[in-house]
Amino acid sequence: MFSEQARKTAGQCRHYAMCKIDYLDTGICRSGEQNHYVSYFPQGRMDIYHALCRGLVPVTSPLVEIAESCDLCGICDKQCHFVTGMRPVEVMKALKTYVRQWLEQGNQPLQVKTDPGLEGLREVVGQKWATNDPAILLTYADDPFPLAGMRTPRYVALPRTREEVAALVCFANDRDLPYVVRGNGGSVFGFVFSHGLVMDMNRMKGIEIDPENWTARVEPGVTSFELQKEAFRHGLRANTAEPAATVCGNIVCTGLFSTWSNAYGVNADTFVDMEFIDSRGDFFRLIDPGAPNVFCFEHKLTPAPGICTLAHVRLHPTTEDEEGLMVPFDDFEEAVEFARELGKRRIGLAIGVLGGHYLSTFMSPSADLADKVRYGLSQALGIRYVVFMIGDGFARQAVRSMRESVIDSKLFKMLMLGLPRLADDEWLELVSGMDTDQPPYAILLRREMRSLLEAVLRPSPEAAAQAVDEDLRDFYIELYARPEMTDMVWLNMFRIISARMSRRKHMFAFLVYVPLDRVEVTKQICKELGRIADKHGIDHDYGFLTPLDMGKRGILEYDYYIDHQEPLEKEKIRQALKEFEPYLDNLSAGTKGVKWLKYIFSQGCARKEAFLYT
Amino acid sequence: MGSHIVVSLLCRGHRVLVLARERDNASASQRMDRLLNWFGLSQTQRRYMKVLQGDLNLPGLGLKAQDAGTVAADVDETVHCASDTSFSPRRREQVERTNVLGLENLLDVVRKSPCRAFHLISTAYVAGKQKGLCAEDFLQVLEFHNVYEESKYRAEKMATKHCADNKITLHVYRPSIVYGDSNTGRTTLFNALYYPIRTLHFFQKLYTRDILENEGKKAREMGVRLEKDGVLHLPVRIQSSDECGLNLIPVNYFVEAFMTLRRECPEGGVFHVVNPRSTTIRLLADYTRRFFQLEGVRVAEPEEFLKQPRNGLEILFDNHIRYYGPYMQDKRIFEHSRTRAILAGQNIVCPEFSYPVFAICMGYAVETDWGRLV
Repeated sequence: MFSEQARKTAGQCRHYAMCKIDYLDTGICRSGEQNHYVSYFPQGRMDIYHALCRGLVPVTSPLVEIAESCDLCGICDKQCHFVTGMRPVEVMKALKTYVRQWLEQGNQPLQVKTDPGLEGLREVVGQKWATNDPAILLTYADDPFPLAGMRTPRYVALPRTREEVAALVCFANDRDLPYVVRGNGGSVFGFVFSHGLVMDMNRMKGIEIDPENWTARVEPGVTSFELQKEAFRHGLRANTAEPAATVCGNIVCTGLFSTWSNAYGVNADTFVDMEFIDSRGDFFRLIDPGAPNVFCFEHKLTPAPGICTLAHVRLHPTTEDEEGLMVPFDDFEEAVEFARELGKRRIGLAIGVLGGHYLSTFMSPSADLADKVRYGLSQALGIRYVVFMIGDGFARQAVRSMRESVIDSKLFKMLMLGLPRLADDEWLELVSGMDTDQPPYAILLRREMRSLLEAVLRPSPEAAAQAVDEDLRDFYIELYARPEMTDMVWLNMFRIISARMSRRKHMFAFLVYVPLDRVEVTKQICKELGRIADKHGIDHDYGFLTPLDMGKRGILEYDYYIDHQEPLEKEKIRQALKEFEPYLDNLSAGTKGVKWLKYIFSQGCARKEAFLYT
Repeated sequence: MGSHIVVSLLCRGHRVLVLARERDNASASQRMDRLLNWFGLSQTQRRYMKVLQGDLNLPGLGLKAQDAGTVAADVDETVHCASDTSFSPRRREQVERTNVLGLENLLDVVRKSPCRAFHLISTAYVAGKQKGLCAEDFLQVLEFHNVYEESKYRAEKMATKHCADNKITLHVYRPSIVYGDSNTGRTTLFNALYYPIRTLHFFQKLYTRDILENEGKKAREMGVRLEKDGVLHLPVRIQSSDECGLNLIPVNYFVEAFMTLRRECPEGGVFHVVNPRSTTIRLLADYTRRFFQLEGVRVAEPEEFLKQPRNGLEILFDNHIRYYGPYMQDKRIFEHSRTRAILAGQNIVCPEFSYPVFAICMGYAVETDWGRLV
């Protein structure tokens, strides 16, 4: 009765919650929007179907309702394909088919009995917004993190107000019920699970922009994408992370960092004030004189200061002439030095050193094309790294005076829309055959070459859409016709393509603050993480590096890739952990400027000076 | 060139051990099988061949113990054909690894074997920046045009010393620029002569499509147009002069020369396998226009580029031929009296690089899409 293909797809859900935000202007799953539980979103249905296949969950009345509430509109196919290449609609159909057949066989869905605990929760949040239904609980029990098992909660509750959150904390305390807070569930580090109560903040979506103060007040269910959209509407910009991650969750968990952190800072730099509910259920604000000092940093694993119910975040001005630039390099050290130079000289806003893997994956609408493009960029064109920068006209002029070969916004658009032809074998063979003392990109990026490049690439939305499944091409043609889809500034503000990094496999990211003036430290970290991964047969690659605090420090991402449904792959990570954990622990404790993000967890409100310069 | 020599040896009944790498998910044997299929060699002819999977860049050539034992016990002669022909300084490490360190690894293995004759396929261009007559002998050269020349020179030096120390007869073959078979056009490599012409062919296809499918907007920007008779006007100037040209030899001539010299000169020595006549770039441009139905491709004096800088097509084209500059304007004369005398005695003469030969070679190149369909 189960479809094997659908089961496999369902098991591969990355839990990035991208189906919970309207990042492609397609709208989002209607039943999810109405019911708020993750179970009613495609992500939840994927989990439910996968669990049904494995006999982990009974067919309950809510499960039947979840299956039936999907109207097969196809939005999730478009959304999910854009970042992961997966097509969830087949799973939605398989779930509906299974439930329908199960009912036709005369089976009766399980009616789960209520209990006093659930009744108490419902008194706080309302009848609809607390549950103990196993099908719903299951969707709050696991994520692709390979080093943690399933933990099913007893209850899930969705508060609407800060008072309800406080009441839930008191309720849990009175009953010795452990609890966790879940923003959008996109952290995938096994942090948002509990045997007790999970508070899902999806109903707390208030955003209030204060244009005079260039700030925004956001409730804990507000995602980065939603805040950015609202800020953008006011001509402002937030320093936000992954689009589906909640702003409050991000700040509390790791602190906010992004390529914009070059100019906007990290952690305590990013907010004006935060409101928390402490473990007793009492409110406090960080600007209160008597509030706990969360701006300090301790080099140890530390619990969060409480549940964040409001973040008062800083927004930043934008200018009309902002554009992106990419400066190619075939050498990592040179690229880092250049990024650092920009940081030191305060040139540009967002800055990042990207490897060929990130660049090709971000740009390509399919995994196969990304592989070809990566080869094309690195092997044929010699673009192994790029320093990516967003800046105004003055900043771009400065960069151009520093480096001759740049990819400007027009060329970037041309490359995006002509990507399948950039990866054409004949063209790449021709380019790689240039036996010159400069990398081929230095020749191809000359102004005189623009017309020839355009003739080769023949860029158009139709050309770009050739890379995707035929039935999605019309959608992609419309999508790529929208200017923002090829605009480096917009793409970097909204970060809708960064989740593509996990298109092949789930990504296990290492984030490490590093001293940027000692590039050998960064190179050594990459080398050692690469060595450990090779030893254990784990796919791995350099991610990105962003300068911070005028080029004095940087944040490095290095990634391992694993199939989280494959026990052998989990075991590989488990074995690798025995090496990478002590390595990064020792480095964080003993090397100036190095701090593994593990130690920043739950200290995201700390001042950066407290952990970058210890 | 290596595969041509292997086939020639097998056809003459020699037992051949072939060192090959595994690549692109194909084992060394699979790769050799594909090559020999391309040559149309029968299974009977292949029975004396054994493929040894290994890597020249590894100590001991990366051979398995059993294969290393076979080499140590059975080898009488060694032919070294492997070479990295990149010219660019940014590829120095890679070129030196193959051409110098690779040879060192091979010589080390050979030393432990009964091999008493070593055939090194070098290049006439170890002559470096010498002018005039370049002796058919070991040379003292101080300056080179590129890392390839330098690395092959160093390889010759190394082989000379090693062979002298180990009482191995050394044969050094120095071909000039090798192209396909002059009778059939067949080749497995489409570099050197082929690359710049392939670039022009690419431009031709690109702009013809632009004209036919896209109203020729991009073609107009480059001054490209399709004439009524179907000829494409492609304005590409090639910097050169008529005083000098390329020294080109076909692969079939080289193989024949190699087999003859190997047989006729057991005492070894240096052999310049070159063409007594160079081909001017003007003639090559003429052949190209004629074969590909192009106009506008022409030779220009350096001063012309000062008045009118290169367009995008010319920049790309120029970067494909830049490192061939010294060969396109070659004033070196490769002495080859010794080789010529031996080959002439066997009625072996280098074929002229005529238009029919050019057409056969380019016909094969286009038919196989420059090797992509081989």
